[in-house]
Parts: sequence; C-alpha cells; structure tokens
Amino acid sequence: MYVLLVYDIKEKRVGKMLKLCRRYLNWIQNSVFEGEITEVKLKELLAKAADFLDTDEDSVLVFKSRSQEWLQKQVLGKERNQLDTFL
Amino acid sequence: MRKTYYLFNPGRLARKDNTLQYTAYDEDGLPGQVKYLPVEDVADLYVFGSLDANSSLYNFLGKQGISVHFFDYYEHYTGSFMAKEYLLAGKLQVQQTQHYISKPKRMALARKFVEGSAFNLLKNLRYYQGRGRDVAVYIDQIEGYVAALPHAAAVPELMGLEGNIRQTYYAGFDRLVPGDYSFGTRTTQPPQNELNALMSFGNMLCYAACLSQIYHTQLNPTISFLHEPGTRRFSLALDLAEVFKPLLVDRLIFRVLNKKEIQPKDFVQDLGRCVLKEPARKTVVRVFEERLKETIQHRSLKRSVSYQHLIKLECYKLTKHLMQLEEYKPFKAWW
Repeated sequence: MYVLLVYDIKEKRVGKMLKLCRRYLNWIQNSVFEGEITEVKLKELLAKAADFLDTDEDSVLVFKSRSQEWLQKQVLGKERNQLDTFL
Repeated sequence: MRKTYYLFNPGRLARKDNTLQYTAYDEDGLPGQVKYLPVEDVADLYVFGSLDANSSLYNFLGKQGISVHFFDYYEHYTGSFMAKEYLLAGKLQVQQTQHYISKPKRMALARKFVEGSAFNLLKNLRYYQGRGRDVAVYIDQIEGYVAALPHAAAVPELMGLEGNIRQTYYAGFDRLVPGDYSFGTRTTQPPQNELNALMSFGNMLCYAACLSQIYHTQLNPTISFLHEPGTRRFSLALDLAEVFKPLLVDRLIFRVLNKKEIQPKDFVQDLGRCVLKEPARKTVVRVFEERLKETIQHRSLKRSVSYQHLIKLECYKLTKHLMQLEEYKPFKAWW
C-alpha cells in the first residue's frame, strides 16, 4: 500500500509527530510524508500517534492508494526531498 | 516490502530519533543535506562508499534486524554486519551438519546445485540460439558434461565438472555480447577485462542477495554442500548463488551490454585490473535491484513471486530436504 500522510498539529506536539513519521515514511515536505507501508505498520503508526495527539485540535489525513503506480505526483518548483534508495 | 538501500556516497549514518539519519559528504568532506531513512522500511544496507557510523547505530540496526553488507573500493565483498540470529533451530542445524558429514547425502545435494546451475545457463544459451546466435556447439558440449554429473563420485570431481561447464559457457559468451567485448578466460582477483569485471561485480551482488535471504530462514549460512564450508565466508550463499547466477547476473550482463547501458568507456583499466566506474556501478546495481523485484507467475504456488522471493523459496526447499520432508529439486527456469 502506498500512502500520503498529511498532518496539521499544534506546535507543542508537532515535533513528536515528525519524529514518529520519519520512522515509517519518507519526508517530502513540511507536514507531508509519503511511502510504501503495510496495513499493519500504518495501524501501528496511527496508534502511536493517537497516544499523544489532541483530537480536538490536531488532524492527520492519510490518503491511501493500492500502489505507487496509482499515484501521479507532479512537482512545481523545488522538490525538497527526492526519494531514492541510491544514496 | 522493505527496501534495500545502497550507499554510494561517502557519508555519515546515525541513529537519530529512533530512525536512521544519513548525511552525505561532498568532495571537500563537508556535510550536505540530511536525509532520514524510514527504519521500518529498510531491509538491508549495501555500503559501497566510505561510511561513518558508531556503535549506537549498529546496536540499533541489530535490534531492527537490518544487516549491512560492505564492499571495498575495488568492488569486492568484504563482509557483513548481521543482526543477532533470531531464527534459531537446533534440529535443523543438526540435520544440516549431518547432511554435510555423510558423503552420499552431501553428494546428492551438491549434484543438485550443479544440475540447477547447468540447466539455467543452458536456458540462457538456448534463448540466444533461438534468436540466431550460433552457440549450438557449446550447448552440445555442456549437455555432455551434464550427462556426466550422475557419475561423479566425489565433490571435487563435481566442482571440476562445474568448472568445465562454466568454461564452455564463457566461451559462448563472446557470441552473445557486442563485438567490443571478449571474455577470454575467467579472471578474478583482479578481473582483467570488462566482461570479467562485470561478472565479478554481479556475482558479488548475487552472493549478498542470497545471504540476505538465507538469514531470514533457519538455515546456517556457514555449512554448505557444494563449496567447502568454513574455508571461505558464508559458503551456503555460494551454493545457492550457483543456481541463480545465470538468471540474475548473466542475463543482467547481456542486458546492459546489448542495450548499451554500459559502454567500454565505463571501465577503468589500470595496474592490470579492470573495474567499473562509479556511475556504471550504480547502473548495474539499479538493474540488479529491478531484476530482484521483478515478478513471475509461480507454477505450483499459483501466484506471482519476485526473484528475491524465489531465492527464499529455494531456502525453504533446502530446509525441507534437510528435515527429510521433501526431496530438494533445484530451481529451474521454466520460461
């Protein structure tokens, strides 16, 4: 499963969310992550996030797609982080 | 599926916020952009450039079950960092050792590996025969050697036959690649010409890929059957690689040369050795990675599996053989 995860979280907790997401997905822009992930790993990620999020103030959106092929990505301007396994 | 990361640039890998932080260095040794690799999505790391790291990183990698394979400047595999064994199986270990000690049992397995290898490389030759390259002489010759396999009495004899098969096969190579290249004889440490350099580099990737898969099964990578165990690194990976080399490495060589993805200018010749230049190395690894991810429809499993998974299935078959549940049949390409 290929997902796009976007969050809008109060400053106090945003650092926590950033660190958590880095473990599972690739950072592409402030508050935006994408990457290949399994159903279970995604659940794990969301469960961990739910531990510290304040659901009255924060929001996390996950866009799921079956695979990367089903997601068309278009970049205008600078691509802030290229996703590549060759470093 | 977890991904393999290839580190070509010199850089520093560190544990940061419970994930991996990679900082590449530029030519002046100054740190560049910081990248985070999602640790949950890393299968293993292949390190080609120089890498700075500390023990806290290795502790972390060990806990996550991520292994790191190292390659030196001359593209040789130098060793691996392997996480603590997590699949221990004493029973299998005993069986594996027994199959090594008992001569008939060992021979049976060793013969299977050579058989599988020969079958797969004949497949390559036949494919090109069908496309108008004249390699019939070599096919006949190899078939002769294959016919002699059941009569081999000891492992060294088997290794000899295997050597003959390979030699004949390499002679046929010259007709399958563009005219700029010639195989000559197989030379290693160091490879003397372009084809040998490509072959060495490809084989090395194949060994590491096999080792990675063995690690995820309960087999002990140091006890092998065709190759002598203990004398060299994880020799079971060498046994397994024997079966997969014609598919993973040789076809890769044909592809990159015939499609001109690699050209004569991509090699450096000096001090009697031939090595691939950095960008060409990346090309080869990229093609290899693509191949590992490529899927085929498996006949008995009735679902599509990747080449990488095929290697693992091979380990399972071996396990079954060792536990005397089902006789091992080497993987033979059916397409």
